[in-house]
Amino acid sequence: MRLIRELVFPLIAVFAAFLIGGIIVLLIGDNPIEVYRLMISSAFGLFDALGNFTFDNWGYTLFYATPLIFTGLAVALAFKCGLLNIGAEGQLYIGAFASAWVAITFSSLPGWSLIPLAIFAAIAAGALWGAIPGILKARFGAHEVINTIMLNFIAVGLVSYLTQNHYKTPGDPIMQTVPIADQAQIVRFHGLLSPLGIDFPQRIPLNITFLLALLTAFLVWVFLWRTKWGYEIRAAGASPSAAEYGGISVRTQIVLAMALSGALAGMVGINEVLGYRHRYYHDFSAGYGFAGIAVALLGRNHPLGVVLAAILFGALSRGGLFVDIFTDKVSKDLVQVLQAIIILFVAMEALFRGTFSKFLPAPAKKA
Amino acid sequence: MNRILPLLIILAFVLSSGCTTRDIAAESDGNKIKVGIVFDIGGKDDRSFNAAANVGVQRAKKDFPIVLRDVEPGDPTSIEPALRAFAQYGYNLITGVGFAQGPILKQVATDYPQLHFVLIDSVADLPNVASLLFKEHEGSFLVGMIAAYKNKTGTIGFVGGMDIPLIHKFATGYEEGARYVNPKIRVLKNYVGITDAAWNNPGKGRELANSQYEQGADVIFQAAGNSGLGVFDAAEAYNKFAIGVDANQNWVKPGHILTSMLKRIDNAVYSVVQDEVAGKFKGGVHVYGLENNGVDYALDQYNRDLIPAWVIEKVDQAKRDIIEGRIKVTDAMVQ
Repeated sequence: MRLIRELVFPLIAVFAAFLIGGIIVLLIGDNPIEVYRLMISSAFGLFDALGNFTFDNWGYTLFYATPLIFTGLAVALAFKCGLLNIGAEGQLYIGAFASAWVAITFSSLPGWSLIPLAIFAAIAAGALWGAIPGILKARFGAHEVINTIMLNFIAVGLVSYLTQNHYKTPGDPIMQTVPIADQAQIVRFHGLLSPLGIDFPQRIPLNITFLLALLTAFLVWVFLWRTKWGYEIRAAGASPSAAEYGGISVRTQIVLAMALSGALAGMVGINEVLGYRHRYYHDFSAGYGFAGIAVALLGRNHPLGVVLAAILFGALSRGGLFVDIFTDKVSKDLVQVLQAIIILFVAMEALFRGTFSKFLPAPAKKA
Repeated sequence: MNRILPLLIILAFVLSSGCTTRDIAAESDGNKIKVGIVFDIGGKDDRSFNAAANVGVQRAKKDFPIVLRDVEPGDPTSIEPALRAFAQYGYNLITGVGFAQGPILKQVATDYPQLHFVLIDSVADLPNVASLLFKEHEGSFLVGMIAAYKNKTGTIGFVGGMDIPLIHKFATGYEEGARYVNPKIRVLKNYVGITDAAWNNPGKGRELANSQYEQGADVIFQAAGNSGLGVFDAAEAYNKFAIGVDANQNWVKPGHILTSMLKRIDNAVYSVVQDEVAGKFKGGVHVYGLENNGVDYALDQYNRDLIPAWVIEKVDQAKRDIIEGRIKVTDAMVQ
């Protein structure tokens, strides 16, 4: 399959990164084999340090991966239209605050209507925030990279102002809103699995949004490769002039792609606000918007690749924390080094394609 | 086959890690008391708040047979997993530094009732949590007095980090101490910001201090963490005075740091570790004030010649008065 062939490069990049990371660990003075075993076992291991079976590791890894799936899809979709969406960070903050606002303000609604409303708010608000740079590009030709970055700052400022002055518990030193309505909390894996008799701890924040993220990835694939509108977006991205000639309005596609991209980024709010903290917590994003760019790059802008890359990055976050705590010399920065090397190698793929192409599986025969 | 091979290798790797995590940590730690500390966002090298906590645990590590591991979370999402990681590994005493960790630490402590926790600057009402609070307002009163005695212009300043009730405690105590000496003194107050980024912005700290010095202040008390280092730079540039906070910062700009308002987090943390090692851990709220050396003003070779002896006498008298209840300093956090 062509997909497997496409995955080989990112895999080489990951292996190369771990190799170089291992050398760095050696130079720092720790044992790379032990460091990597700790990293991998705390990210994917089914047993904890005392030998007991635990869901914790997988649970947290997938929980960390969830926002990255959304932002990775956001960046990938925009890229399919030839656009660089650096604004996922701002879009996800706007989406998160919007869903918190709905869940706080409409607290008299029952759960079955409040939750979809809050989800819709996250999507719509993110779409709006993404559409702004889209319209600016389509109408005025203003570069989306600059506009999206600037809108990140505006988003953070706007949301902080609203939180601090209108939605905070008075006297609370932590910058966060009041809690959302109880019935707006969405179910965690604990709630999903306990009717089946599986004891998945309630404290693990992995929730149904992860499944929603997987579904969203599938829907993005269907949209881009199996619908007319997705085709139009891809055509506008691949060759704008040819698309115009074929009757596609590239300007419309730009706005549409940016709006969809923002909507996807906004969905991070569902995981964070409805599934985890049950309120809007300022600065909750550990750079998800920017990590999404790396995830999209590593995943080759394909939904399946994005999901796998997001899980990898989630694992690195989880494993990195344990490596930081339980080794003497290595810190969490190792994770950033690994991520950086991965991105560098993926970006250098042209070099690999040329020099090492003879090690690759043979391409499919042309018909 | 050669297409699937890489995937198979990864799969094998991942599955084999499903084996137990008997790793570096478990093997080397043995039977000693295990102490874990999770620092605040500012990081352990902020030279004041987190640094003081670090000094305390490092001193405990020298004096007692403990295993000490620390982590700087870097962002709010990593605090809970860090605390839980220590709990998962059965660490006997887990410390959360800073009020921002309060709600999270309370949740983790509820899930692990057999382990002991320490929380600094906030209260978690559980029997296995020692909540450490400090009477910063009392220490601030004393440095306010010193500022007022040193002052020649009729104006002094205060630069706080986050604009929150905890820092208002410092500001109110400082102002009351200054007015105790000079009822007509003018006290300028500014805050770096409203989020925890305010602890880490020396540039903004410097700007605020510049503005206060321009308005006539000749002494500025900073309670702003890493941002306060900017205040010190301004003091040096204007050839005026500043007052440090949390740790003894007199040495940072010799000749310009009038004194420091000490918050003995190091002593407090040390004594909790000491209790744990002796098996005498006490949960509940521990309040540290002037009476038990929890807060104080710093006097050492760097500022002894900046403060006349008669001022020291007056300030020490006020210290006795506060301890014995003759002077009451307002605690701005108590609503």
